[in-house]
This record gives sequence, C-alpha cells and structure tokens, in this order.
Amino acid sequence: MAEVLLSEAERTFIVHGIQDNIRADGRSCEDYRHMELETDVVSNTSGSARIRLANTDILVGVKAELAIPASDRPDEGRIEFFVDCSANATPKFEGRGGEEFATEISNILSRAYDNQGSLNLKDLCVIPKQQCWVLYVDVMVLECGGNVFDVVSFAVKAALHNTRIPNITVHADDNGRTELELSDDPYDCKRVDVHKTPSIVTVSKIGHFHVVDASMEEEACCLARLMLGITEQSTVTAIKKEGSGSLDPESIYDMMETGKRVGQAVNATLYQKLQEEEKLGPNKRKAGFLG
Amino acid sequence: MQRSKIFVKKTKKGSVLKVVREHYLRDDIWCGSKTCDVCLQQAAILEESPELESNLCRQPHYIVTDTNVVLHQMDILEVPVIKNVIILQTVLEEVRHRSAPAYKRIKDILTIRDKHFYTFTNEHHKDTYVERQPGESANDRNDRAIRMATSWYQEHLDIKIVLVTDDMENKEKAKKDGLTAYTVSEYVKSLSDSPELMDKLALRTSDKTTGGKAKFPEHLPLSEIQRGIKSGNYMQGSFQASRDNYLEANVSVHGSEKFDMVLIQGSHNLNRAVHGDVVAIQLLSESEWSCPSSLVLTETEKEEEEDTPNKENILKEKKSQVPKQPTGKVVGIIKRNWRQYCGILQPSLIKESTKHLFIPTERRIHKIRIETRQAKTLEGQRIIVCIDSWPRNSRYPLGHFVRALGAVGDKATENEVLLLEHDVPHTPFSQSVLSCLPEMPWRITEEDSKRRMDLRHLDICSVDPPGCTDIDDALHCREMDDGNIEVGVHIADVSHFIRPGTAIDKEAAKRGTTVYLIDKRIDMVPELLSSNLCSLRCKEDRLAFSVLWVLSQEAKIIDVKFTKSIICSRASLTYAEAQLIIDDKNRTDAIAKSLRGLNRLAKLLKKQRIESGALTLASPEVRFHIDSETHDPIDVQSKELRDTNSMVEEFMLLANISVAEEIFREFPNCAMLRRHPEPPPSNFEPIIKAAQSKGLQLNVDTGKDLAVSLNDAQLADNPYFNTMLRILTTRCMMQALYFCSGMLPEADFKHYGLATRIYTHFTSPIRRYSDVIVHRLLAVSIGADASYPELTEKKKTHALCFNLNFRHRMAQYAGRASVGLHTQLFFKTRVIDEDGYVLFVRKNALHVLIPKYGLEGMVFLTDEKKRSPFTYDEQESIQRCGDVEIGVFDHVVVQVSIDRSNVQHQKLVLRLVQPEIPGFSVPSSGPPSAKKMKMDTS
Repeated sequence: MAEVLLSEAERTFIVHGIQDNIRADGRSCEDYRHMELETDVVSNTSGSARIRLANTDILVGVKAELAIPASDRPDEGRIEFFVDCSANATPKFEGRGGEEFATEISNILSRAYDNQGSLNLKDLCVIPKQQCWVLYVDVMVLECGGNVFDVVSFAVKAALHNTRIPNITVHADDNGRTELELSDDPYDCKRVDVHKTPSIVTVSKIGHFHVVDASMEEEACCLARLMLGITEQSTVTAIKKEGSGSLDPESIYDMMETGKRVGQAVNATLYQKLQEEEKLGPNKRKAGFLG
Repeated sequence: MQRSKIFVKKTKKGSVLKVVREHYLRDDIWCGSKTCDVCLQQAAILEESPELESNLCRQPHYIVTDTNVVLHQMDILEVPVIKNVIILQTVLEEVRHRSAPAYKRIKDILTIRDKHFYTFTNEHHKDTYVERQPGESANDRNDRAIRMATSWYQEHLDIKIVLVTDDMENKEKAKKDGLTAYTVSEYVKSLSDSPELMDKLALRTSDKTTGGKAKFPEHLPLSEIQRGIKSGNYMQGSFQASRDNYLEANVSVHGSEKFDMVLIQGSHNLNRAVHGDVVAIQLLSESEWSCPSSLVLTETEKEEEEDTPNKENILKEKKSQVPKQPTGKVVGIIKRNWRQYCGILQPSLIKESTKHLFIPTERRIHKIRIETRQAKTLEGQRIIVCIDSWPRNSRYPLGHFVRALGAVGDKATENEVLLLEHDVPHTPFSQSVLSCLPEMPWRITEEDSKRRMDLRHLDICSVDPPGCTDIDDALHCREMDDGNIEVGVHIADVSHFIRPGTAIDKEAAKRGTTVYLIDKRIDMVPELLSSNLCSLRCKEDRLAFSVLWVLSQEAKIIDVKFTKSIICSRASLTYAEAQLIIDDKNRTDAIAKSLRGLNRLAKLLKKQRIESGALTLASPEVRFHIDSETHDPIDVQSKELRDTNSMVEEFMLLANISVAEEIFREFPNCAMLRRHPEPPPSNFEPIIKAAQSKGLQLNVDTGKDLAVSLNDAQLADNPYFNTMLRILTTRCMMQALYFCSGMLPEADFKHYGLATRIYTHFTSPIRRYSDVIVHRLLAVSIGADASYPELTEKKKTHALCFNLNFRHRMAQYAGRASVGLHTQLFFKTRVIDEDGYVLFVRKNALHVLIPKYGLEGMVFLTDEKKRSPFTYDEQESIQRCGDVEIGVFDHVVVQVSIDRSNVQHQKLVLRLVQPEIPGFSVPSSGPPSAKKMKMDTS
C-alpha cells in the first residue's frame, strides 16, 4: 500500500485526537467516511457494483455460470472470489506485486461467506449432483486509498444484490436424462438474498483506542487491527488479526463489540441505499466511469 | 444515444451466456415519404399521393404491415396494385429469423422501384425504439414496436397510415391507441378495384377452428419432438410420399444405423405430412409392422367421406409372409418444405361454389383445397397454388391461388409447368450476366496466342448429334513417325470466358447444367457463348483445352499432355456423316484417315474397358420428329446407335479419366470428381428374381460378373429380353454423383458402371458447370491459369457438388417429363396397338414398357366397379386368368390412347389387347404398323 510518511508530531496529533474521539478529518472513532455507490455498471456481468471511498476505488462483477456441484455438497451452489489488484491502484502492484495482497483479500472474503447463514447456497442448486450455479465474484482494485478490505466487502454485497440469475426450467425425459431450458425473457430471473451476507469491518488499534475506517495516515499509526466479518444481524462470521503489534484479550473484546455495533449499522445503511437505488428503476442517471 | 440489448442464451456446451449488444439510436433516419419536408431525405420512395381505392379508407394512405402478413400473405404483397407499403425493420428482422424464403421474397419486392416499398429502420430511430418491458414476451414487444412506429408515422405525416395485421390482439391494441388497423382480409376485400386479390389470400386457420371433427391426431410441439429425438423415442427424417399409392410413404431417417427407411401407411399415420417435409416419426411395435402394398392407389375424383376407411382396409388385409418393414407413424412436423405447386382445378359439382379442389401435377402431393371466385376462367388452365396450412379437421391441406400459367395442353404452358415442377431456373439471363460477355466482334488476341499452343494445322473435326449447336468437343488422330499414334481431344475453353466470381459464373454455378427438353434448350450460359464463341464450329478459330495422348497401336497410353490451345475444326459432322466417311472406301483424305484411326482405337479401348468390368446398360431413348409448323410431334423413333457414337464416347471417357488422375494428383483435397457407388446386393434382388422366373441365373457379385451374366442372358423366343434386363438393371443402380475428393476415402472414388478407379467430367463445359470447375483445376495444375481461394476450399466445393447433383437430377427428370409430354401430344390424335413387355407385376396393375416409344404405363386390372378377372400370385408375381398367365418380361399387345373423359385431366391409357381375356381385353384395331400408316395419311 501507499507509503505515508508521518512526522512524530503528526503521529501524536492523530493519537491524541482519537483519545478525545475526534479524528483528523472531524469524524468520531466509529464513523465511516463518505462513500459513493453505483450498481449495474458493467452490463455484461450478471451483477456489478462500484464503490468509491476517499481514494479507494473498487469494482466488483459477479458472473453466474452453470457447473457441477462439489461432491461433498451435492445440493448446493458455490461462490468463488477472485481479486485483481490493478497496477493502476499503486505502483507496488506492478508485475506480481499485488498478488499477495489479492490473495489476502479473497481469503478473508471466502472465510466470511463460508457459512450456512449468510448465503442460501441451496437456492443456487439446479439439479442436485448435476448442475448448480457458481457465482464468480471478480474484484478489481482500481485505486488504493486505505481501508480496502471494508470497501471490497461492501462492493461485493452490492454486486450480489444487483445479480440477476436467469431462471431455468428443468425437463426430465423418460430415460431420466434432463434438459435445461432457459426462459427467453431477460426479466425472468432470480435474485440473491443479501440480507444476511457479511461485510468486513476493520477495527484499527491506535494508541489505547480503536477506530473504524482508518485513513491512510491513521493506518500508518496503527500496529494491530482486527478484521471482522459481520452481518446485519451482528453475527461474526470471520475474524482476523493483522499487523505487527499485539492485542490483549480485553481490547479484542472491546474491538469486537465496536465492530459488531458499527457493522450492524453499516450493513443496514448499505442495504437501505441499495433498495433506494433499485427503486429508481432503469431510468436512473448513470454515472459510469466518466462521471 | 446508446442503448444495450441484453439477452441470455444457452451455448452448445450447455453453459449460459449473457450477451450484450450495443444499440445506437439516431435522430436522422428519414421517413421515406415524398410529402415530408421535415426529414432530410434524398430520393424518397413513398409516393406523394398513393392511389389505392379502398372502401374502408378512401383517402390516400400508406400501409404498415405486421410480421405475420409478410410471412403468410406474400402473394398479396407481390401483386402490382399493392404499393406504398412501409416495411419496418422489426418486421424484416423477424421474417428473416423465421423463414429464409419469405425474407428473400420481401427483399426482392423492396428492390422493385414501381412497388414503392420502403424499409423504415424503426429500431434505430430515437422516437420509435421501444425497450422490452418486464413480463413482456419478445412477440409482444415487437408488436408494440410496430404500433409505436405506426403512430409515429401518423403524427409525422399528413397522409393516413393503415396498419394491416392478422393478429387480433394487436389490432385491438392498435385501435385503442387510436390507429387505423384492419385484418388482411378486411383490407383486401375493401379494394373494390381488384376483386381477384381475394383468391390470393392465404387461408390461415388455427388448430382450434370450430366445426368438423378432427380427422387427424395432433402434432406434437417442437420442444417435445426435440426431447423425443434426443431420448431416441422419435426419429427425424425426410418424408417421401409414394408415387403410386397416396396412402403410403417412406421416411428416410437421418443418422440412424438401425433403420434407414421407415414405412408409413394409412392417412392417420401419415398425419398431414406432405412430400418433402422433415418429420418426426415414432416406430410402431413390431407386431404392427407391415410391408408396402403392391397396390396402385390414386385419389379418385369423387371421393366420399366413407371411402377412405375401405381403402385403408384394403391396405391392411392380406398381410402375407413377405418380410415386414419397420413401420412408423408421424408424430410431428419439424420443417415444412412446401413450395408452389402446378396443377389444375378439379371441376366442382356445384357451379357457384367458391371452394374448389386443386389437383397437383406432382403425384406425390395431395389435393389442395382453395377458395376462388374465378373458377370459370381457371377451368382448363394450369395454375399455381400454394399451401397455407393443414388443420386437423380438414381432409385436404388449405391453400390459395397464386397465378395462372395458361391453357392445359398448350405446349408453352406445359413446358413452363415442367420447368417449375423441377425447379429449373429458366428466366432470361439478367443484364449483369450479359454484361460479362465479351464484346463482338470477338477475335483471338496476341496475348492469347502467345500463351497457347497453336494447333490450327491439325485436321480436327467434331462429331455430334444432328442439329447440335453447342459443340464442346472435337477430335483428331495422326500416325507418328515412331509408329505410335497421337490422339487429341479438344474441349471448348469455357473457363477462358467465365471468370471466377463474376455474375455469369455465379449464374452458371446456380443453373449447374443445361436442360434439354424435346423442343427447347435452357442454357447454362448465354447463347453467345454456348452456340458461338465456345462452340467449336468448323472453319473458325476457337480457343480450346486439349488433351494430347501418345497411344501405342494397341491403344495403351504412352504419354499424356494437357495444354490450352487454339484450334480450327475442319468439319462439324453428325454421327451418320462420320459413319459414312469411315465406310466410304474411296475417301482417303486426312479427315477420313483420322476418323478411321479413331474408330479402330475406340474399339480397342472399349474392349479393354469391358474386360475390366464396365457395364453396358440400356434405357429406352427416343427421338421425336417435330412438325415444322405446328411444332407437334409427328413421329417417334428409338435412337439409333452407330459406331461413331461409341467412338466419340470412348475418347471422352479416356479424356475424363486422364484429367481426373491429373487433378487428383495435384489437388488431393479439393478435386471435383464423379463417382458411381456400387449398389448394395439387395438392390439386385428384384431382377435376380425376375431372371429366375425365366430360368436364368444372374451373378451380381462384381461388376464384371454382372456384365458377363447380362451378356449371356438371352432368350430365343424373346429378342427384346436382353435389352429389358439391361433396362431393369439400370434401375437397380445408384445415382452417379459429383463429390469433392477431400470428403471421401480414396476407395470410394470408383465408378462402378465404367469400372474405373477414378472419374470426372471434363468434356462438356458448355453444358455442365462441373466441367468448368475441372477445367479451372486442370489449368491451375498445368500453370496455365491462376488459382482463387474458393477453388481450393473443400467445404465450398462440397456445397457446390451438392447443388450440381440436385440440378443434374432435376434436369434428368425434366428431360424425361418432356418426353412424356410429347408422347402424350403424339397420341392426342391417335389410337394405336403396340407391342409391349411387362416390367413389373402389381397386385392390381401391370407395368408395361412399349419399346417403340420408350413409353411406360400401367394397365389397370381393376376398375372402380369391375373386379379383376385375374388372380394375383404374390409369391411368383404372376397374374393368372384361366389358363393365361402374365409375368415379368412377357410380351403383350396394348392399345394406347388418350382418356378424354375429363377435359382438364387428359391422360394416357393402356388397355390390354393380347393375350385376349374375354370381357376384359379390347379388340385389336389391326396390325400396329398398318394402323399407323392410316393415321398418318388421314
């Protein structure tokens, strides 16, 4: 990630501010920055979304494809994540530079989504043991401006909400062979329920206190942070500690509590905004990539 | 303005793909009307004041059509009175999607200036583009787009716009939107000036029509058929109705090893399939399997409702021990292959009725019910009719009248019928084709003579049938100093004039072959080429493609050379003239020597060929003597064969084989060759059986064995027996076919009839397109011409072969039909007793061949009323009556006449004269020849 060089005085200023629950940009410790969200930005995907938070710019596309179900879960579909860190985001990503970071993101996404509660994968099954939908979630990191994990998870959620999977009718003939028939109406499709899908909330420990949605400068002051996969129902689906510093159990508990509280609110707001956007219908003004 | 069209589709692999197409809208698409001064348009198509009087809409108006109208009522749109029609892009695209022929027809109309048909690209116009809405089917969206465009026009122009649609829902919705909409029949009825249009209305009735009980089982929907075919429950095949029995048909199944031909019997099982359709069939259980009946059944004139069950019973009764064939029933139609049919109206019992039955010329097509008010004028005319539908409750398919060709029996009309029925392209050559012709006067240029071998010093001559104007081959032969003989075959260099990719080339490729009718020739290339520049006329310098051999005295090939050349023929001879020159001992000039040499070598070549197993087959061929004034035939003769015929033939074969070897060596993947597959042994069964009945054994193991046993098969008391056997053997053969060498293994190349390993057609480029291609291949391989991409493309050649094979077959059929037509004209004024021979014995008829006229026909043994005096022995296929037995090959005398009981439908009738059967045979009208003399003098 981009290097931010801080002087000792700046560092002290940030830490002291956080102690008083007021951050360099005027937020409180549990506030997120302003975000811009647009869905349905890539027309040839099944669903897509783009989120911009400060300088972080994430584009997510979901592609639904038919495949054979995994043998240990014959009646379920799958969701697979792939993250691509564009070299545009930061010069560090050039060549294979972004690979490690990309794997890190996709791992935590997989972990956060890998539970029975968040996505109903049984819905994605077409014919048990034979055909199921696989949702390939492709994440593009277009620009890196801090708090990438959180933004990626929001964009994934938004893209899943935007996903339309064509409806399929299954005909079985006398010999037990099956035939899939696709409806010719492009509006005849099903949705993915994102009501219970997790978002990632990164809680960064700075001094003795912690903040969410750390800015680049704050990230430079932070030695340890906790990434939590949290649903709107406050269920923690994944947790990961990152950074060179250590955390004592008490502060982990505190950070989790904060994460849950913020996560619940952020999820709820995101869902509400997605609904509002959808109500605008097909005639909404599109910003796209030029706006 | 950009929109995107999004749809999902399933790929062949089974995955689902979302496709996004960008769609741009414009604001500068003009409306095409001359009255409009808003649109910036050049050359508006729609007239300022369209004149079409309609009772419904008296002011000037333009017509907008629905997709269904274009799909089904094309005959109406093609009428010259219908003008100023706006064809929307939505409609055009839907038509293209649904029916290629309809699309081609509408595109043709759009190019006609006088019709004032305008295509409005409404899908790209910013005001008329509509997006599909949730829950709306593609069809509904298109209907909405059509209404949208109509209302846009209505607002845009002062002229009234009439929407013509057969879709009731669409019409209602249009009315609600304040548009003027009529159904086609409403609109056409309102055109008071042209009542004849009513006849051209296609009768569309949905399957749900009321009234009348269903006479046929329902057809399955396409999706169910496809599933059934996948699972193997149903089979797909092309439906081929029987010529002799309208209640019987065969389906040749695609892609099944077990059953290649499935029999269908009975109208219920045939289930409204029409000859040529692609159908889905289901096999019946083995206990219900049947065998083709040997009955000859035609739909009779006055068929009553109850009639059919009886006939079907006849079909069913008497299931004998003959091995049964796989039998099935039609469950659905995959693709209709209806075309326009020629035929006549069946006289109606009720004079004023508008409903009539139409009898097609093609025997394999059912009668068609049509509605017309011009029955009186159409009586005695050949007309063209189109099938529209065949609802379940109708015995006959429903159709509509398209146009009249002319009076029945009129030769021009009958020729037209013949050409239409055999799908022979016979329109005059278009301007673009004619503009490819070289300018006259044509001369051989310096350039040409530099690159060609000058053979003008050789004594070349051509030998052809009398009256031939398209001479495409010439020959020469001379002794060489070393004792060997040089022989040259010179073929007209058509590929010099027909360059690849030009309009003339495309037209020739489409026509494929010149079609010879008795009194007419339909050329493959314009006459300037066929009868002048390419024809190797005597005493004129012509471009040729020459094959030059060095042969030993024993007619063994020592060397062969191919070259483009310039020749000058010394003489154009007929077969008879050439024969005279050879026989005339006093002539010792170069031509006579050359001909004698050729004749001697040809005999040697023929002997070699026969030794290696070539077959000599026979088919009755006749020549008509045509009256120079009335153009009616006044005499018929079998064609005479002279030595010179076979002389020319031998050298043409030799040239073809040499060329085939050369082009195959040079182009192993894309040479155009001709093969004649060996018939499967089962094909020979009927003639082996027939020969056995005369106590003769035929060996059919190889071509050679067959040739030998055919030579040995002679009957002392029946001199015609051998020829008949050869005629029958010909019918056991497979069709010879053009093919592309890359598509088949080399072992399959062989020509069975000629007993050669490889063969092609090289010697008649004026009248066969295959030869033009072979010329090009050969020219490339000797470096005389440049290649072009299509020439070496396997797939293209393959597709071309397919068309050529089809055209050749059709040309053959058309030729035969022309002979039939002239035979009928010949007998118009004659009743003659003739010698005939039985070719087949049927259950209720004898199939008789009259060698003198090459005429075949049925002697029916049963009448509508009378029972046959004969009993049929199916085992030995013999008809017995008392002590008279008639079997295959037996000699009979028959009376030939024209049945004139039905003025519209005259047909040739054969009646038995000898052997005499009291109460059945007709009395002899004197010895055949004497009778004819009398007729001629009268």
